[in-house]
Amino acid sequence: MKSFGMKHFARLTAAATLAATFIGGSVASATEITFYYPIAVGGPITKIIDDYVAEFSKGRPDITVKPVYTGSYQDSIVKAMTAAKAGNAPDMAVLLSTDMYSLIDDDLIEPVETLATSAEDKAWLKSFYPAFMENSQSGGHTWGVPFQRSTIVQYWNKDMFKAAGLDPEKAPGTWDEMVSFGKKLTKKDASGNVTQWGVEIPSSGFPYWLFQALTTQNGAILANPEGTKVAYNDPKVVEAAQFFADLSLKHEVMPKGIIEWGTTPKDFFEGKTAVMWTTTGNLTNVKANAKFAFGVAAMPKKARGGSPTGGGNIYIFKSKDKAKQAAALAFARFLTTPEKAANWGIATGYVAVRPDAWETDAMKKYAAGFQPAIIARDQLKEAVAELSTHDNQRVTKALNDALQAVLTNAKPAKVALDEAQAEATRILKPYQK
Amino acid sequence: MKSVVVRSVSKLWGEARAVDDVSFEVEQGTLAVLLGPSGCGKSTTLRMIAGLDEPTSGSIEIAGKDVSGLTGSSRGVAMVFQSYALFPHLTVADNITFGLSVRGTPKPEMAARLDKVAALLGLEPLLRRKPSQLSGGQQQRVALGRALIAEAPVCLLDEPLSNLDAQLRQELRHEIRALQQRLGVTMVYVTHDQTEAMSMADRIILMRGGKIEQNGTPADLYERPANIFTARFIGGAPMSFLDLDDGAGGAVIAGTSSPPLFAGPGKGRVLGLRPEDIAVDDAHKSGLLHATVTGVEYLGAEALVTCALGDRSILARTRGAAAPAIGAQVSLSWHPSAAHVFDAASGKRLTIDSHAATPTPRLHTLHYQGSINA
Amino acid sequence: MQAKRTTKLNIHVQGWLLALPAVILLASFTHIPAVVTVIDSFYSTPRGRVPSVFIGLDQYQAMLADPIFWRAFNNNLLYAVVTVPVAIALALGMALWVNGRIKGRTALRLAFFTPTILPMVAAANIWLFFYTSDYGLLNQIIRAFGFANVNWLGDPATALWSLMAVTIWKEAGFFMIFFLAALQQVPPDLYEAARMENAGRFTVFRRITWPLVMPTTLFVAINALINAFRIVDQVIAMTGGGPNNASTLLLFYIYQVAFSFWDSAYAAALSTVLLLVLGSVALAQFYLLDRKIHYR
Repeated sequence: MKSFGMKHFARLTAAATLAATFIGGSVASATEITFYYPIAVGGPITKIIDDYVAEFSKGRPDITVKPVYTGSYQDSIVKAMTAAKAGNAPDMAVLLSTDMYSLIDDDLIEPVETLATSAEDKAWLKSFYPAFMENSQSGGHTWGVPFQRSTIVQYWNKDMFKAAGLDPEKAPGTWDEMVSFGKKLTKKDASGNVTQWGVEIPSSGFPYWLFQALTTQNGAILANPEGTKVAYNDPKVVEAAQFFADLSLKHEVMPKGIIEWGTTPKDFFEGKTAVMWTTTGNLTNVKANAKFAFGVAAMPKKARGGSPTGGGNIYIFKSKDKAKQAAALAFARFLTTPEKAANWGIATGYVAVRPDAWETDAMKKYAAGFQPAIIARDQLKEAVAELSTHDNQRVTKALNDALQAVLTNAKPAKVALDEAQAEATRILKPYQK
Repeated sequence: MKSVVVRSVSKLWGEARAVDDVSFEVEQGTLAVLLGPSGCGKSTTLRMIAGLDEPTSGSIEIAGKDVSGLTGSSRGVAMVFQSYALFPHLTVADNITFGLSVRGTPKPEMAARLDKVAALLGLEPLLRRKPSQLSGGQQQRVALGRALIAEAPVCLLDEPLSNLDAQLRQELRHEIRALQQRLGVTMVYVTHDQTEAMSMADRIILMRGGKIEQNGTPADLYERPANIFTARFIGGAPMSFLDLDDGAGGAVIAGTSSPPLFAGPGKGRVLGLRPEDIAVDDAHKSGLLHATVTGVEYLGAEALVTCALGDRSILARTRGAAAPAIGAQVSLSWHPSAAHVFDAASGKRLTIDSHAATPTPRLHTLHYQGSINA
Repeated sequence: MQAKRTTKLNIHVQGWLLALPAVILLASFTHIPAVVTVIDSFYSTPRGRVPSVFIGLDQYQAMLADPIFWRAFNNNLLYAVVTVPVAIALALGMALWVNGRIKGRTALRLAFFTPTILPMVAAANIWLFFYTSDYGLLNQIIRAFGFANVNWLGDPATALWSLMAVTIWKEAGFFMIFFLAALQQVPPDLYEAARMENAGRFTVFRRITWPLVMPTTLFVAINALINAFRIVDQVIAMTGGGPNNASTLLLFYIYQVAFSFWDSAYAAALSTVLLLVLGSVALAQFYLLDRKIHYR
């Protein structure tokens, strides 16, 4: 979800601008709203969005939506924040669910429930999976609408499992199995170099997200719902970090050092690893590129199963123009009808964000033909909110740094996480009023 | 004793023969000039003596030893480059002592030799300067100093004065010659300037097209040019050439009613006369030839007079004050020994017994009044 | 007298008018932002409804206590100390090589120059796959020689050095062009004069070539030094500053503080420090280039 293809940037931007100009010019009297969206997965996303906009404007000719492709998630938040600081904020934007506190703290977004006041609106707000809503709500308000959401799943190479004498239809179901399967799946050549790894859990960039799967399974919760406290040095978290590091350092079933997020799918395709952990958003990618039988499974269990959610929410920005906010709400509702949610999930590999989307005919047909989609959905029962706090990126960086220190054997897990906890506590102090 | 011996040396650049089977010797303690127009192979020859270029064939000996495979100081030669090739980042002192320091000469010896050379060339006040702070003449002296400090038995100079103005050139000419004689060093000096060659050389090696045209003392080249090329190249004002023809009493100047100049055939031969050898008299005086003045180039002490002789012209030199007017009829005469005769086809000098010819005896009693023939 | 003064004034006014467009551009995009950045560094970051207040040197005190800042600063120093001389040595070596009379030297010059014309992000992506563990080119090579796999970008011991290699690879070709130009400015006579003295290759290099290309070397060194403190692309593209800040450089940290943490005031303070570093390098350049190496 968090990678994105730079090569299309110029073309897409040009296309979006052109489309926006055309639409903007044709209906001059309508309420015009700007909609920022990022692209973090493969596929013709810009075209899909443009089609949605065209369809929406047919039903609501009084509203003109100007979609603006804003790059990766990181590019998008930078553009939204800087535009807002220049007094030129978008009316709505798809941004990371974890950007919520930053947007609240800078007083940039409107609580959705203050706009969604009709009975119909209220019902709509209750229609999403609760696991997704955890990252949308804080302080009694709903700040974001789940749109392109994901979880972590494990992908495994069935051919390798068979070759290693394992049941090709059964992914590791527990931490113990991760190790025992991993040892059977890890292969070395004559000179002692590993040619095939048991498992790869990426640890570059945002290791906290994949690590949060381990802490969830170990029964820990990393942050309070208010986003003002973290539990980085909870013994269960330390234990999870130790396990993470042990996979490579002790059990030697995972490559040493930092595992690059971007190249992990390639490692999987190249047969360098038998199992990889990555986002459900890579489903379409794996389906297209794996030249072997593969499976998709829910996360293994320790105390419990589970994964953090991930991905982006729709935010409605503050504005003095109530008509624009109402128009933004209307478009947000349009994008999250059961039919659109299903359509979006099928087209992108994201998890459709509301249960009734899975009851639509299109989704039923898709899920019947592609079992892995169901895995991602069913894991939502055990999913938790992605780590998100005030001053989010700084607080998560403290954890990221600690994890990388542990994984590269630079510091013991306890020491590193104690330091991260102290740092995070220091950063969060102003918010604990 | 021979200081430099060049034996059948050739240099080919691809197909082109820059130097073609050249041989000559330079006596120790003398100054030999390699003279010739540009592209004649003189610089290439010098570079081969220096060891900067390897001969394609032939051998070079310095002080009696074959020096193939050695370069510069190791074959006992030093060199002054046309551009001076001074190191811009080094002081005058460091430029001069560069070679000594490369060879690890002890500091006190280096200082002593530097003092000596600096005194010799008057460079003492300039030793701390950089080359860019020197005039052209000063730079030239530094380059000379760098070549002399090595005390190599042979010093090579490649057009060392060509970048200087006329006055300075003349001064340095004398200076270099004096230094060479004082130090007793052997010099091989490349130039295209015949005045420089004539005034400095013990021996001139005149080259053209990669071959030696004539090798001799300046007087040899002036008085007995071996061929038309040498005759043309050597001397201040250009020699005049007149085709000869068979006459009744011997060779006559073609197309004129000149008296026979010498016995024997004239056809296929060319007469060469230096302007300074020709006496110009009034027309009524009896000379060898009668001609019309068509041009006068007044140079102060002397004048170059162009005279028409039928459809050819001949150049004569008179005292400036005694120059005839344009259009004047004059008679021209010269001493028989001043006549150079060449074979028209090969350009080679022919030996003619001028006394066997039939010049008028009066020639010896000519007044020479208009002539400054020395 | 009066008229003369007026004319003189007119000339001044005209001069300034001619320079005005450039002055306005420079001022609005370079000087004013720089000054504003310095001023901002004495204020707190505005957050939502909380406006910024004057806090004096608090940001700088926080900086002194910030281990990531020191890590980035020290990394950057090491980066400069390693990449500048190595890139210069390589560039000069390559220039000496392709300046000689060798076959195919045009192709060779082009080959050396190619890295320079690649955008940094493209170069970083190429190297990303060189460095990939298991099937990366580099690991395939070292495995062929019987060495163990190295996780180049994923190991704190090698991440920064791996980035340095990319910088050196990219800059050496560029600097080679400068050295090539400098070498071709050296009259061949000087080398012949040295040959006449039978000076060896190393002596010729040390006594002639090196001093003569010194102004170029200094120019290149200053530029390389400034570049070393301006590197951000390949950090973003290759390591994201990790693992555990092992490859964090100053400008990358500034980017992170400004656009991930949205702490604009702290970013301003960091920028001020970077500005000071670059400013002193630039001053050194003016001083050295103008005073020390001016013999031509």
